[in-house]
Amino acid sequence: MLDDLFTIYPELFLATLVLVVITVDLWLSDRNRWLLTPLTVFGLVLTGAACVVVWGVNEVSWSGFYVVDDMSVFIKLVTVAIGILVALLAPSYLARRGLPLGEFNAILLFSLLGMFVLASSSDLITLFLGLELMAMPSYLLTGFHKSDRYSNEGGIKYFLLGSFASAILLFGIAWAYGLTGSTHLTDVAAALGGELQPGMLVAIGFLMVGATFKIAAVPFHYWTPDAYQGAPTPITGFLSVGPKLGAFALLIRLFVEALGPIRADWLLVFLVLAVLTMTGGNVVALAQMNVKRMLAYSSIAHTGYIMAGIAAFAATEDVAVQQQGIEAVLFYALAYSIMNLGAFAVVGVLQSDPRRYGGLRSFAGLAGRAPWLAAGMAVLLLSLTGIPPTVGFFAKLYVLLASVDAGLAWLAVVIVLNAALSAFYYLRVIVYMYMRDPEEQPAPIDSSGFAAAGLGICVVAVVGLGLFPGAVLDFIRASAASIF
Amino acid sequence: MLELPILSLVVFTPLLGVLALIATPGDNHRLIRWIALAAALISLGFSLLLAGYNPNGAEFQYTEDLPWITAFGMRYTVGVDGISMVLVVLTTLLSAVAIFYSWDPIKVRVKEYYAAMLLLMVGMLGVFVALDLFLFYVFWEISLIPMYLIIGIWGGPRRIYATVKFVIYTLVGSLLMLVAILAVAIAHAHGNPDVGFTFSYTALREFSATTGYTEGLQALAFVAFFLAFAIKVPMWPLHTWLPDAHVEAPTAGSIILAGVLLKLGGYGFLRYSMPLLPDATVSFAPIIIGLALVAILYGALVAMVQPDIKKLVAYSSVSHMGFVMLGAFVLNTQGLQGAIFQMVAHGVITGALFLLVGVIYERTHDREIAHMGGLNARVPAYAAIFGLFTFASIGLPGLAGFVGEFLVILGAFQYNGFVAAIAMLVVIASAVYMLWMFQRAFFHTPSDWMRRWWPKLTDMNRSEWIALAPLIVLVVVLGIYPALVLDPIAVPVERILESVDGAAGLTSLNLPWGP
Repeated sequence: MLDDLFTIYPELFLATLVLVVITVDLWLSDRNRWLLTPLTVFGLVLTGAACVVVWGVNEVSWSGFYVVDDMSVFIKLVTVAIGILVALLAPSYLARRGLPLGEFNAILLFSLLGMFVLASSSDLITLFLGLELMAMPSYLLTGFHKSDRYSNEGGIKYFLLGSFASAILLFGIAWAYGLTGSTHLTDVAAALGGELQPGMLVAIGFLMVGATFKIAAVPFHYWTPDAYQGAPTPITGFLSVGPKLGAFALLIRLFVEALGPIRADWLLVFLVLAVLTMTGGNVVALAQMNVKRMLAYSSIAHTGYIMAGIAAFAATEDVAVQQQGIEAVLFYALAYSIMNLGAFAVVGVLQSDPRRYGGLRSFAGLAGRAPWLAAGMAVLLLSLTGIPPTVGFFAKLYVLLASVDAGLAWLAVVIVLNAALSAFYYLRVIVYMYMRDPEEQPAPIDSSGFAAAGLGICVVAVVGLGLFPGAVLDFIRASAASIF
Repeated sequence: MLELPILSLVVFTPLLGVLALIATPGDNHRLIRWIALAAALISLGFSLLLAGYNPNGAEFQYTEDLPWITAFGMRYTVGVDGISMVLVVLTTLLSAVAIFYSWDPIKVRVKEYYAAMLLLMVGMLGVFVALDLFLFYVFWEISLIPMYLIIGIWGGPRRIYATVKFVIYTLVGSLLMLVAILAVAIAHAHGNPDVGFTFSYTALREFSATTGYTEGLQALAFVAFFLAFAIKVPMWPLHTWLPDAHVEAPTAGSIILAGVLLKLGGYGFLRYSMPLLPDATVSFAPIIIGLALVAILYGALVAMVQPDIKKLVAYSSVSHMGFVMLGAFVLNTQGLQGAIFQMVAHGVITGALFLLVGVIYERTHDREIAHMGGLNARVPAYAAIFGLFTFASIGLPGLAGFVGEFLVILGAFQYNGFVAAIAMLVVIASAVYMLWMFQRAFFHTPSDWMRRWWPKLTDMNRSEWIALAPLIVLVVVLGIYPALVLDPIAVPVERILESVDGAAGLTSLNLPWGP
C-alpha cells in the first residue's frame, strides 16, 4: 500500500496544490492576488520534480488499475510544462476582463490532474475516470468568460458534444469488457490475441469514434473551432494542447496497448482519418481571416500529423519501427504543445483591448511596433509550418521518418504537401506582421511580465529543441520503449 | 600547423554579424552597414583561404565532422570539393557585393535588412559545404526565409504576391525532397543494420556505388529531388516564380537570387541526384535534356518581347540556366565542366547586370526599355560597362560567358548533334534580345523621358564602381583564363561521371527516346 502511494507522488503533489491554491486565494487581498501565479508555477515545478523521482520505476500498482511507466512520466512532465506556461500566460488576459484568477488556476490544475490519471491508466475504468477529470474542467474553462456570449456558446457546445463523445467511448469500453472479460488493458490485449471477434468491430467502432472525437479528428472536429474561438485566448491555447495531449495518451493506451494485437483491423480506418484530418484542417484554415480561428483549424491539421505516428505503429511488424511511431507521437506532442501555446499567447497579447477578436489586421505592421513580439511570433509560425531549425521541423521529420520506415511513404508525401499548404496561411501572418502597414488605431499590446516570460520560454524552447533535439530524444525513446 | 576550421568560419561569420546587429541600436544606420559589410568581407576573406585547395585530391577537403543528433546519426559534417569551393567563393563575393551595393538604396528597416542578408548568406554557404544530407536540408530551408523577407519587405509594388509564390513553389519542392532524403537514409540503414541511421553523404554515396538503391526508390527519389532542384534552377515549366520574384526584389536581392540561389538547384543535381541515384539519372536524362532545350529556347523567346529591362534579364536567366541543365545531363566531361563554369559565369554576369539595372532604377525609378534611349550620351561609362556585360551574356569569346556555353555545346555535340544545333541557334537568339535591348536603351536620340530625367541621370558614382569592380575583373579574367575554375572542378567532375558511367538505367523504365 505504501509502495503504491510512492508511485503516485506527482498526483498527490498536484492534488495538494489545488487545495493550497483554493485556500490561499481566500486569504489574499485583490492587490496581492498576483501571488497566485508564482505559487502555482512553483507548485507545478515541485510536481515536475516529483515526476522525475518516479522516472524509471515502471511498475503497475493499485491492483492493476494504475501504471507508472516512463511513458506516463513523460506525458506528465509535458503536462506540467503546459501547466506552467498557461499559468504564466493567462493572468494578464484574465485580469483585463475581470475574471477570477484563483478559480482559473484551480480548475486548470484539476484538468492537469485528469491528464495525469489518464496518462497512467492501465485499466479502462481509470482511463475513463481520467478522461472525465480532464474534460469537465475544460468545459468550465471554455465558458469561463461568463459575460461573453461567444464564450458561453463555445462552453455549451464543447460540453454537449464532449459528454456525448464520452458516452460513446464508454459504450465502446463496455463492449470491449463484455467481449474480453476484463478491464485491464493488458488482459484485453491478451484476450484478443491477434484475432478479431466480430463483436470487437462494434467495440473498435465506438472506441474509435469516442477517441477521435476527443483529439478532434475530422469528421469529429466540429466542436473545435467554436469552442476554441469562444474561449478566452490563453485558455484556447490550453485547450488546443492539454486535452489533446491527454486524448493522445488515451489513444496510445487504448489502441496501442489494448487493441495493439488487432492493429491490422483498425489501421485502414486510422489512415483514412489521419489523411482527412490533416487535409481538412489545412484547407479550412486557409480561408480563415481570424488568427485565433485559423490556429484552431490548424491544430486539427497537427492532430492529423500526430495520428500518422500511430498509423506508422500499426502498419509494421518490426518492433523497433513500431516504437519509432510512438516516439514520433510523443515528440510531436511535446513540440506542438510548446509552439501552439506560444502562438495563442501572442494572439492573447494583442487582445489586451477586450473588444479585439484577434483578426489578421491586428497583426498588421507588428514588426514595426513590437519587433521582439513579432520576431517571436514569426519563429513560432515557422515552427508550426515545419521550417528548420525549429522544433516543429524536427517533429515533422520524426513523423515522416516513422511513416517512411513503416512503409507508408505515400502518407509522408501527403504530410509534406499539407505542410506546404499550411505554409500559405502561417506565412500570411508573417506577411501582415512584416510587410503591411499598421492599422490606424493599432491594437494595444499587453505588456505583462508573466506573459513575456512565458512567451520567452516558448520561443527559446522552440529554437533550442530545434537545434538540439538530442536533449530530449533519449527520454522519448525510453518512454516509448516502456510500453513495448 | 594549426588547423583552422575554415569552412565553419566562412559559414558562421555572417551569423556572428547577425548577432552583432541584434545588439546594435536600430537607428545607427552607419554602424549597422559597417557591421554587415565587415561580416561579409571577413567571410569572403576566409573563403579565399580555400585557394589552398589541392585540385588533384579526389576526396573532400577542409572537412570538419562533429556529432549532432546522435539518435539518428545526424552529424555536422562539412567539406568542399572543387565544385563547392568555386561556388562558395562566388557566394561570398556576390554577397559582399550585394551588401555593399545596398548601402544607399536601402533606407527603411536597415537593421532587419542586413540581418536577413547575412542570414541568407549562412544558408547558401551551408548548402554548398554540407556533407550530411540532414544538415544540407536544414541550410537549404534556412536560405529560404531571408529571401522571403527581402522580397516581401523591401521589394516593389507586387512584392507580397511575388514572395508568397516564391516561398510556396520552393517549399513544395523542398519538402518532397525531405521525404526522398529520409527514404534514401532509411534504405541505407536497412542495408547496414550495424551502422544504423546515417545521413552522411560519403556513406550514402558509397552505398549507392556498391549495393545501390532499388529501382523503385531511385525513380521516386529522383523525381522528388528533381522537383526541389528544378524549381530552384528554375527549369521550364516550373520557372514562373522567377520573373515575379526578380521584378519585385530589391536590386541586391536580385543579385543574390540570380547569382547564387539559382545555383543551389544546379549544385543539388550534381552533388546529390547524380552520384546517389545513377540509374535514375541515366534514365531521366533525356527528359531533362528535353526540358532544358525548351527552357533555353523559351527563355530566349520570352526575353525578346519583355518591355521591362529587369524582366528581360530574368528570362535570360531561365535560358542560361537551361544551358547549365543541358550541360549537366549530357553526362560527359565537357558538358559537366561547362555546366559548372556556366553557373559561375552566369552568377557573375547576371549579378552584374541586375546591379546595373539597379543603378538606372535608383535614378529614375523606371525600367521600361521603351522609355529609354540615348543613355550613352549622358552616362558613357555606365553604357560601356553595361555593354561589357551585355556581350559577356551573349557569350563573346574572351569573356566569361563564352567558355561555359562553348563547353556545354561541345558536350551536347557528343551526345546528339541535333540537340547541340538547337542550343547553338539559341545563342544567336540571345544576341538578338540582348543587343536589341542595348541598342534601344543606349543609342538613338534621347527620348522625352530622358530629357525629363536628364539632371538626375548622373554617371556611376564611386560606390557603384567599387561594387562592380570585382565583377568586371572576374568576367574578363574568367574569359581569358578559365582554368581558374576548370582546374579545381576537373577531378570532381570525373568523380560524378564515374558513378554515372557504370549505371545501366532503370530496367523498368526503358525510355524509347535517347541519343
